[in-house]
Amino acid sequence: MNSESEKADAFVQRLLQNPALNGFSALQQEEQILQFLHGNAAQLAPTLSSSQFFPGKNWNQIFAVLVSSLTRAIDRTLFADLQQILTERIDYTFLELLGQQRVNQEALSKELLLVMKKLLQKQEARRGFTGPYTALHFAITDQYVDEIFTRKSYIHFELTKVQRLRMGKEEVQNFIQTNLLLKPAVFLISAGGQSQQDRATGMVQNQFAEKVLGVLKKELRSMPEQVLQSAVHSSVSFNANRFIEATARLAAILGARGRSYQANVKVDRGADSPDKSWLSTARRNYKFYGFDIKMLDELYKIAAENVW
Amino acid sequence: MSKTRSFLENIVIVAIVLVLIQTLLEDVAIILGWSRSARESLMLAGFVFDLFFTVEFLSRSYDAFRHRRFSQYLWIERGWIDFLAAVPLLVFNSGPSVIAWYIGGVAVAGSGGMLNVLKVVKAIRIARVLRLLRVLKIFRRIKNADSVMAQRHLATISAMVVTVFVFTLLLLSLAGAAVTLPTLDQTYQRQVSAAIEHIEQEQLAAAGNEAELARFVETHPGIISVEQGGSVRYARYDQAYLNENFRPTDYTVLEQGTTEIFVDLTPINREQAANNARYFVIIVAIILVLMLVYSPHFALTVSDPIHVMRRGLAEKNYRLEVRVPRQYRDDDVYRLANEYNRVYLPMKDREAAGEESSGTSSLTMGDVKDLFE
Repeated sequence: MNSESEKADAFVQRLLQNPALNGFSALQQEEQILQFLHGNAAQLAPTLSSSQFFPGKNWNQIFAVLVSSLTRAIDRTLFADLQQILTERIDYTFLELLGQQRVNQEALSKELLLVMKKLLQKQEARRGFTGPYTALHFAITDQYVDEIFTRKSYIHFELTKVQRLRMGKEEVQNFIQTNLLLKPAVFLISAGGQSQQDRATGMVQNQFAEKVLGVLKKELRSMPEQVLQSAVHSSVSFNANRFIEATARLAAILGARGRSYQANVKVDRGADSPDKSWLSTARRNYKFYGFDIKMLDELYKIAAENVW
Repeated sequence: MSKTRSFLENIVIVAIVLVLIQTLLEDVAIILGWSRSARESLMLAGFVFDLFFTVEFLSRSYDAFRHRRFSQYLWIERGWIDFLAAVPLLVFNSGPSVIAWYIGGVAVAGSGGMLNVLKVVKAIRIARVLRLLRVLKIFRRIKNADSVMAQRHLATISAMVVTVFVFTLLLLSLAGAAVTLPTLDQTYQRQVSAAIEHIEQEQLAAAGNEAELARFVETHPGIISVEQGGSVRYARYDQAYLNENFRPTDYTVLEQGTTEIFVDLTPINREQAANNARYFVIIVAIILVLMLVYSPHFALTVSDPIHVMRRGLAEKNYRLEVRVPRQYRDDDVYRLANEYNRVYLPMKDREAAGEESSGTSSLTMGDVKDLFE
């Protein structure tokens, strides 16, 4: 093992194989490793700058090499997974129910993957996509949409009567999954490396969202505007715009949930289940994050009843 | 804990389990009238266990004394249970029993001393109640709850309940020995004393009165045999039967003039063993209820919610709410938990929002330690 790149790859691989990272999606693993590197810089720097690893380099240089290696490793897993989601999991026939003439599934998935690859070159987009991607990866959407269609309560009413989606449960699931995929579209526009997102909540202003929509339409010409609008609106606060689509509001909540989601987590005795806990906290912070409180209430009941 | 210490602790646990079985079996053997050899084996096993636990207590005391923590061992770590469940039993119960067995003799007294003989026998039997405290020794070693607080509370309650139960029994038994109560002991003693007096007054043990003596003794099953001047005037059982079924603690010899009367103590022993077995079952039942019912209740309503809140306060990424059971929502702990859920967690969530590097990684330096060696 001679080159710095090989050493960095070996180090990163070693971290990725750690059992503590099981139950996290690829982007969550990336965040975990970045947090580890940040948090332990003082201890790692002296050892990693020794002759055995990266001689003569300071911590910033070592960090850059490690991050580059980490991004490469994560991208391999991430894009393979996205390819699978785009081509095998999402069925784009729901677009026909939105008035699209004929959907070329293969061409559409290729187009989407290209946009994703372009977006995910930006670090802030990767961070913004962590939640939505985790929700997609662990199919959090499907279980909630199943329950929403069984209960036929507020969210169902908003989807079918207010947003007027004339489609079944599977089509709505595909719609929301597509919405989650495109949620980081707000990072298409960034000024001087700075995104226009609120750093704490990840939300953008209405006017900025309209700008993004214009850019996104050019990037994804074969995607109906309704889907693109919903995707962009999932980053707009419900407080700021009471007319954003139900799919956007639902994707905003599920995407945020995905950020701290961990599969097969052991719940302490005496603690509530992870989804129920998260939704309960989100209900109390709904104004802060710009969520639809009524949707949170219904999702909370679903999580409580199913012990999610 | 060192390997040797861990090994010795495991041996102690095995010994405690075995001694509990031995305790119950010893009583069962008396109640069911097992053979003398079987009961003697159990008695010897009891002696070995008493010796073992006395040595254990002395070793622990010495170690604690050496490290200037004897008081902590005795009171906080419940060394007093180790003491009570070992030393008095060796001195008052198994020790005298083994000595009696070894010398093959029995207590001998005049008929007026019958009461004294029974008191000695009774003191030995009463001391056996202390063996029930050993249940606490094993209970102390069962870590049925994760929380140290839950374990301590449960151990304290169990120690109080069992100790109060055992010492109440002990005091009642001692009071029974001092005060004349219509117990089986007293009735039996009165009947036997009256029979002995009758034998003496009517000269039934004299040569030539064997037939009348036999008729009289047949109506008094407490008398095993009557001897005068070294010759047997009456024998209820043959020698082989006596050798096989009677241990020194199963009978006593009373002297009245030149007459020696062998008195059967097995009915009294049997009743005492039955009582001991009942007490043992009661204590085991109390301990089981505390372990299986009270311990989970304590965990549910006290230690578990505290554990969840502590993790939430200490760990940045821990955001699980405390589950508040409806029926306990007015408890102080759950009122606190409600504030934690309602105020603290949302505030913590808002504080952490957007701070990418603020989270705590699941990875630690320990995970890559070997890379740097």
